Amino acid sequence: MSGSSDLKRTPLHDWHVSRHATMAAFGGYHMPLWYETGVKHEHCSVIAAAGIFDTSHMAVLTVSGKDSFLLLQHCFSRDLERCIGRQPGPLANGRSVYGLFLLEDGTVLDDAIVSQCGQEHYMIVVNSGMGAKVSAHLREQARPEVTVNDHTDQIGKIDLQGPSSVPVLASLLKNPEDILRDMVYFSFKGALFPAASGSVYLQDGTPVIVSRTGYTGEFGFELYVSVSDTLSLWQQLLAAGEAYQISGCGLAARDSLRTGAMLPLSHQDIGNWLFAATPWSFVLPWHEKQRGFSKSFIGAEAVLSGRESSYTYGFAGYDPRKIPVEDDTVVLSETGKKIGRVLTCTTDMAIGRIGERIISLATPEADGRPVDFQARGLSCGFIKVDKPCRSGENVQLSAGRRTITVEIREDIRPDRTARRSIEQVRKQTEEGRR
Amino acid sequence: MKEIEELDLPGDIYYTKDHEWARKEGETVKIGISDYAQDQMGDIVFVELPETGSVFMKGEEFGTLESVKAVSEVYAPLSGEVIAVNSELENSPELLNEEPYSNWIIEMRPSDENQYDELLNRDDYLEMIRG
Repeated sequence: MSGSSDLKRTPLHDWHVSRHATMAAFGGYHMPLWYETGVKHEHCSVIAAAGIFDTSHMAVLTVSGKDSFLLLQHCFSRDLERCIGRQPGPLANGRSVYGLFLLEDGTVLDDAIVSQCGQEHYMIVVNSGMGAKVSAHLREQARPEVTVNDHTDQIGKIDLQGPSSVPVLASLLKNPEDILRDMVYFSFKGALFPAASGSVYLQDGTPVIVSRTGYTGEFGFELYVSVSDTLSLWQQLLAAGEAYQISGCGLAARDSLRTGAMLPLSHQDIGNWLFAATPWSFVLPWHEKQRGFSKSFIGAEAVLSGRESSYTYGFAGYDPRKIPVEDDTVVLSETGKKIGRVLTCTTDMAIGRIGERIISLATPEADGRPVDFQARGLSCGFIKVDKPCRSGENVQLSAGRRTITVEIREDIRPDRTARRSIEQVRKQTEEGRR
Repeated sequence: MKEIEELDLPGDIYYTKDHEWARKEGETVKIGISDYAQDQMGDIVFVELPETGSVFMKGEEFGTLESVKAVSEVYAPLSGEVIAVNSELENSPELLNEEPYSNWIIEMRPSDENQYDELLNRDDYLEMIRG
């Protein structure tokens, strides 16, 4: 690969290269796209078993001090007083929330997960290459009693995703029952800033943050360790996961999994345009009646004024054929009129169509998956158009000589596991092994 | 990704600069993609084949291969008529990754046998890949 010497390397870089991963530049890092087993195998492993991803390229910030809460209320798109549970209550210690940092004009600086480590102490994970920009943005909001630190180069991050993640992780943790008990979606345990205050360790004494989050739509964990502990954790996960058919997974599988799960990629599906009508309006702090916001924050007025009429939708095709996303790629209405552009187009290899329905490898037989179901994959992604479309409506995506027909969808890959309880997936894994 | 030394490049077939291979079988020729091509593309998930009876000029696109990374065109190494297509690839496109030389894509009847002379042999092809 030419030019890779200018790129940053994660603590696992040499491992990826030694395993002949196909490497590429992503977010300023030299990252694995897939390993020799191939992306289809990696994608399907996360649906049916478990996979690990090197996500050490993500940027990790901390915000601490007396005014941290006020700063985040002013900058982050979620209302931290009302974001946890059905009748939303405040963010609490050990809980995390996904949202956006918007600019005044309502465009997206980046998406982020904000985690509350203590009353005046938050950890914020943003995209690769965005640590300095988001830190600068937060510092510009001039709150005297807040410190913003960028820990990206001290932290390694590994995502363990898939229904078999529980036994793999449990076998590595000290006191796994205590750690994993009652661990709900978007909660975390452990600390690294400083590690001495943490309560979660691997059996070999390595401090770790275990977070029940991820970006695949499937059940799993994000694990944070120091840079020097990252390779050891990766190797321990591979060894412990061997009995569960664990796979090392690259960024291509991460991209197809997140797209099938209807999750946006920052700077591709959301970015430097107004955050208008999208499938992700849940990141805004709506009042119950969806007419206004429960707090004021940077970008709120621009988003509410909705001056630009643009609509972002998910879609799924009818076979695995994709459209290359290039400058001349367009979305055409049923009458052939140009109505917008394609943001993401990839293939979710774990799904296929049976009649009107999309079926996944994970769809239970009792719920309609034929015993001999073979997933051939469906193209899927996001489009941004200048007129509202109905779910179920067909549009065409066209680039050069290729045109494909796709269906506007509210959801893409069915039967995802991300929100299942630890008990549910544990039962499922045990039944699967019998 | 494979190291160049790890590539399987048989000596008894012809290659093109676009990474197709051509195996002369009497009056007809079978056409596929090289080990290098399948390795670069990653998993192939869909194959678009031409109709039997189609005629292509040398260098003309005769089909597309859909990999996880991109849509790649495949080009006719020689001018001629398609006399058979490997329809097994429609249900099992991954065969091109698994066995790129036994799994041909199309069979053609070349209209100009002299065009074989313009194709690359193993050593020329290897040199081209090494850049």
